[in-house]
Amino acid sequence: MTSDHRATFALDLGAATTSAAVIAAVDGRRRLLASTSMPAGIDLDDLLGHLLARLGTADPDLAASLGIAPAGGPMALAGAVATWPRLVARSSPPPELVVLATTAREQHAVARLAGLAGWRTVGGSLEVDGAIELTRLGLTRTCGTIAVAAREPGSRQEAARLTELGALARGVVERTPGVPLVLVGGAARVLGALPVGETGEGPLLAPGPDAGDPPGEPLRRLLLRLDPASGGGRRAMLASAIDLATAFDRRIELVEIGFDGGLRAVVGPGGVEGLPAFLPAAALVPTDLDDIVIDEVLAWSTLALDRHRIGDRLRELRLWPWVEAHGEGALLRLAAARAALERLVRATPEMSALPAPDLIVVAGGAWSAAPGPAIALALADLVRRPGASQLAFDHARLLGPLGTIEDADARLALVGELADDLLTPLGTVIMPQGMRPGRSAGRLVVSGSAGETELELAAGGLRLVDLPPGQVAMADLHFRDPVQLGSRVRQVRIEVAGGLGGLLIDTRDIPLRLPERAERRRALLHSWQAAFWAGLDE
Amino acid sequence: MSRHTIAAAAAEDAARLEAETEVAPASDDYSLVPARTLVEPRPVAWFALAPGDRILVAPGDLVGPGTVLAERQRDPRLEDGPPSSGATGTGQPLRPGDWWSGDGHEAAGPLRRRLPRTAAGELLHPAGSRWRMATGDHVDMVETPARGTVRTVTPGRGIEVELAGRGLVGAFAAGLPTSGRLERIAGEAGLRGALDVGRAGAILVVEGRIDSEGIIRARAMGVRGVVVGGLAGKDLRDLLGSEARQRASLQPLAPFAVLVLDGAIRRPLARPMAALAAALDGQQVALLVDPPMLVFDPPESVWPGLPPGWVRIRGGGLAGVEGRWLRGLGLRQFAAGVHLEAAAVALEDGEVAIVPIADLERFT
Repeated sequence: MTSDHRATFALDLGAATTSAAVIAAVDGRRRLLASTSMPAGIDLDDLLGHLLARLGTADPDLAASLGIAPAGGPMALAGAVATWPRLVARSSPPPELVVLATTAREQHAVARLAGLAGWRTVGGSLEVDGAIELTRLGLTRTCGTIAVAAREPGSRQEAARLTELGALARGVVERTPGVPLVLVGGAARVLGALPVGETGEGPLLAPGPDAGDPPGEPLRRLLLRLDPASGGGRRAMLASAIDLATAFDRRIELVEIGFDGGLRAVVGPGGVEGLPAFLPAAALVPTDLDDIVIDEVLAWSTLALDRHRIGDRLRELRLWPWVEAHGEGALLRLAAARAALERLVRATPEMSALPAPDLIVVAGGAWSAAPGPAIALALADLVRRPGASQLAFDHARLLGPLGTIEDADARLALVGELADDLLTPLGTVIMPQGMRPGRSAGRLVVSGSAGETELELAAGGLRLVDLPPGQVAMADLHFRDPVQLGSRVRQVRIEVAGGLGGLLIDTRDIPLRLPERAERRRALLHSWQAAFWAGLDE
Repeated sequence: MSRHTIAAAAAEDAARLEAETEVAPASDDYSLVPARTLVEPRPVAWFALAPGDRILVAPGDLVGPGTVLAERQRDPRLEDGPPSSGATGTGQPLRPGDWWSGDGHEAAGPLRRRLPRTAAGELLHPAGSRWRMATGDHVDMVETPARGTVRTVTPGRGIEVELAGRGLVGAFAAGLPTSGRLERIAGEAGLRGALDVGRAGAILVVEGRIDSEGIIRARAMGVRGVVVGGLAGKDLRDLLGSEARQRASLQPLAPFAVLVLDGAIRRPLARPMAALAAALDGQQVALLVDPPMLVFDPPESVWPGLPPGWVRIRGGGLAGVEGRWLRGLGLRQFAAGVHLEAAAVALEDGEVAIVPIADLERFT
């Protein structure tokens, strides 16, 4: 689909979830007409036929105008499935970068930056692991690219070690033709001129992990460009988010948690602020599920399960990501999504330090089955900055498919037309910082079309004001002492938009502090969650 | 969610649908049930190697059960090898990954001085005037557990063998590829109650209880492999720890593998899998680790076949229960207020359950 108005399928083919949506013109404007998500692996044409059949049942007149009226029978549906254009965003597993370094420090510095640029990393150092282990790592079947990292040698011994590492890497690359070699930092200067492999192709030279301002940015940029196929769906999502920011003329933070990784970026009409973070470690359940990840999930879980059982449930979630998305499974999934979001936020402190965006858009298969208000709470738990932001959810997973439109003008036009459809408003969160504990720290008055609501504010709590999607209200906040809310204020008036979660006044700590004792923590998390999750205890 | 809860939550639907169970065919929406491959023809097995391991086969070689593919170094160490320049007596320039046969082939060096002795090993890279190589003292044999043809060979990385049989696909596996005669252990007593020396050399398909202790005992009694529906992470970890300790001893051990068909939570074996195991009872089979698979030679007659509309519930309170697809029901609310695409399934005991489609699986 470019600028034409034909009915189109938008498909997001994730690692765990296949999402399909129908976009078509209604009264001269393109709208999102239907969408669904199912486990990956089911036949795509069957899914599209199912979606069209449901559309026909829900609105026969609209279906008739699209040529898929129920009277047309299966042939009409099959015809539409076969002929309508498709916008397809496809996720692929993150590529693997093997970091071979002289020292463990260099190895970890490069691996950290690569981990933010969409690479799954493994590695070792001559200092710790030795030549045989480094050769083994470089020869693993999953290795996509090899990075040789070293700082400028400061002694003869360091120079000898770097020379040996270079010879080792060339030995590995000679055995595995087609695997690119990147020389980083001191390795680039010392070994850069040496040919590699049978063809004699030179390696790619990269700045060190400490080079640039801020340190590491040039290397991270290079690693982002190195494998353009990686994170294809997430890169497309980013393009759509920039168009969305342009259409709304707002700063947007995009936060995505998927099966194979996560994405965090702050964008404005002018593009991305800083660098986007594509983080495989922020997968819903990382492939290398270890005790650290299990503990992170346990910390957010409201289920009274021990570590072993949580670990087993997470392994099952990794194997069969759509199974038991209800009941306890839904709670576990949300705890895993929070833990993944926590890893994403922890890895990107530079984005947390930015001013609160106007809108936070949450996306990804991790949230597919969660109720909207519970998603809003999860965001408020982890993306914590003083200020006020609207929250919205890419419910039909359209950001990826729309981002695949290559014509920038056509993409912007379509995103603009669909802006109201593609995001489900979750509400607005107001997060003041620096409130003093006490009986009353201030007062809130929300004035909207439905009347006025007045609340006393106290530090360390969550208050909800019912504000349905589509409604706009004015929130007047009066604090006893000055607080941080974007700027230091005692009194402020903010326009707030409604959503599935309403207006959320979050006076808890920034960052959030939870009780150490598991029972107390679970009880507190449950009490917060219960207020946002209708039917939680059913 | 228990069966009772499902029935109570959807009592009216269930009553109506129950009446349809005898007559309703599987509807078109059946294709929305996630499909899972039960048996794969001509599976390709991967035998991972590390630097220092010696490869004994070449692409195109035909191999059979017990053919040694490679020698695996238990504790590889780094040593200096032959000179990196000049004649080496091999007739060809040396390259990384080449196998150096050791002293006796080396022709370089000053004539009046004794040549330095070099051990046999895999050449890694040149370092100064000599090659660095990975060598060692003790080797284990890497054997192929089934008939096949070697496809690719990469020193230090691995060997790919296309096997002649068919493979029952599992979820994950641990250990080393192995082979043996298949024996079934049915009943709740599980593995512990069925172990005796007569099981030596067997691959046991266990339908009842299983834990790491039972598996470790089975290995000690000469059992070559275990196939289970589910294995908890703690048991897997204990097993891997025990396996590593055993491998560290000098006494060579027969390869042993555990194949897990479903996941980390205990479920009964799916009926087609159990039927396949019954058909293969007493026959020679192989267990692969990468990919996780039970490999057997056809006959075609072992294919169990499935009734039309057969589905299995993969998760939740009804995990492992099987039944027949009735029809899709659209979006339904399930426990915790979650809305999911649902279907009605006629269970084997005659009840009708309303289940999220994503909780179902069908085999292809």
